[in-house]
Amino acid sequence: MVKSDTFHCSVITPERAVLECEARFVAFPAHDGEVGVLPNRAPLVCKMGIGSLRVQTGETTHVLFVDGGFAQMLNNRLTILTEQARGVEELNIAGVQQSLNDALAMSIPDDAAFVARTGAVERARVQRRLIETAKR
Amino acid sequence: MANARVIVKRRKSVRNIRKITRTMQLIATARFQAAFTRAMATKPYTERLAELVADLSNAIGEEAAHPLMRAQRDVKRSAVVVLTSSRGLCGGYNTGVLRAAVGHLDSEVAKGVENDVSMVGKKGISYFRFLRRPMLEQITHIGDAPRFEQVEPIANTLMDRFIKGEISAVYAVYMRFYSAGRQRPTVLQLLPLTNEAGVKETGGKKSTVLYEFSPSAEELLAELLPATVRVRLFQCFIDAAVSEQIGRMVAMKAATEAAAEMITALTRKYNRARQTQITMELLDIVGGANALA
Repeated sequence: MVKSDTFHCSVITPERAVLECEARFVAFPAHDGEVGVLPNRAPLVCKMGIGSLRVQTGETTHVLFVDGGFAQMLNNRLTILTEQARGVEELNIAGVQQSLNDALAMSIPDDAAFVARTGAVERARVQRRLIETAKR
Repeated sequence: MANARVIVKRRKSVRNIRKITRTMQLIATARFQAAFTRAMATKPYTERLAELVADLSNAIGEEAAHPLMRAQRDVKRSAVVVLTSSRGLCGGYNTGVLRAAVGHLDSEVAKGVENDVSMVGKKGISYFRFLRRPMLEQITHIGDAPRFEQVEPIANTLMDRFIKGEISAVYAVYMRFYSAGRQRPTVLQLLPLTNEAGVKETGGKKSTVLYEFSPSAEELLAELLPATVRVRLFQCFIDAAVSEQIGRMVAMKAATEAAAEMITALTRKYNRARQTQITMELLDIVGGANALA
């Protein structure tokens, strides 16, 4: 196989294919930390967490917010399957702040509610951080 | 004479109706295109997910026994999600789905299984109210373009109840979209997950890729299966939306054509009435002249 210095990256949600491009480097949030992928990486299947997905195509870097899902690297193709992927430009600070406040105000009657609250708080915080980094 | 005027009035109203149905046909066509594009956009996700499930099952080797795949025979209760439209004028669309739903419910009852019906769409809700059939849930907030976030909670609740053992099966009754010319009412078993849900789709070829798994393959599969269920239910909603627009398109096309035929018939009738009227008047005049002469 010819070694290439790029690989194909596709980000797919149930509603649409968000991104299809040739990438030089991709960093995605795994369930236990961030994973970086370079061309010709060994096959990998990984569960994803909440965080920012960065795709470097050479000229630009796409930054997306992803909420869980799976990443699969096979034959120099990286497929990110996630139920939610949103570009930074689709997020607005007021909405995110509002959802953070809502999340913090959630009551915790049982374990399930605690999990839900933690998830919602983290989601909102990650989104806020993304917006703030994008501004700089 | 009154007769001719009545016919003209009717023809005018039929013309207006034709104008309306034609517009509705055009709107339905546009909506169908949009819904169809959306339906196609969900395909890659579904396919890649099925591939992943297949790869993981191969990696694990023996039959995976996930709680979502286990059938609980002793629980005599199942959940049925029925997808109907919220708007009418779409031909036999709702009738077809509801007939399939009622047939399925009756056969379940005959087997001694109780049903919890989640009804989506106003048309189905009013039909079941009319029949005085119980509904556990009435969902009307999902419109023409179902969003994943709207469908996800429904799937999650059903999976929760299934795992807790409250229900032994989950079915979805919807209009399955095969092609623009073919849609069929379908009863789809969502839970327990059967093998054809994803595992079979590799067509028997064993992938021999050695993946690096993080976390372990078993844990990944346990996460993937709920995602599969969610996306399958989402696919049902998307299919239903496409089929509804096709139903409306076909119904409105038929209505427009019927109106055109009616206009032709009425025009012919009017001409005949007008001619009769003229003949009568002439006869009157000639008769009067003859009487004077």
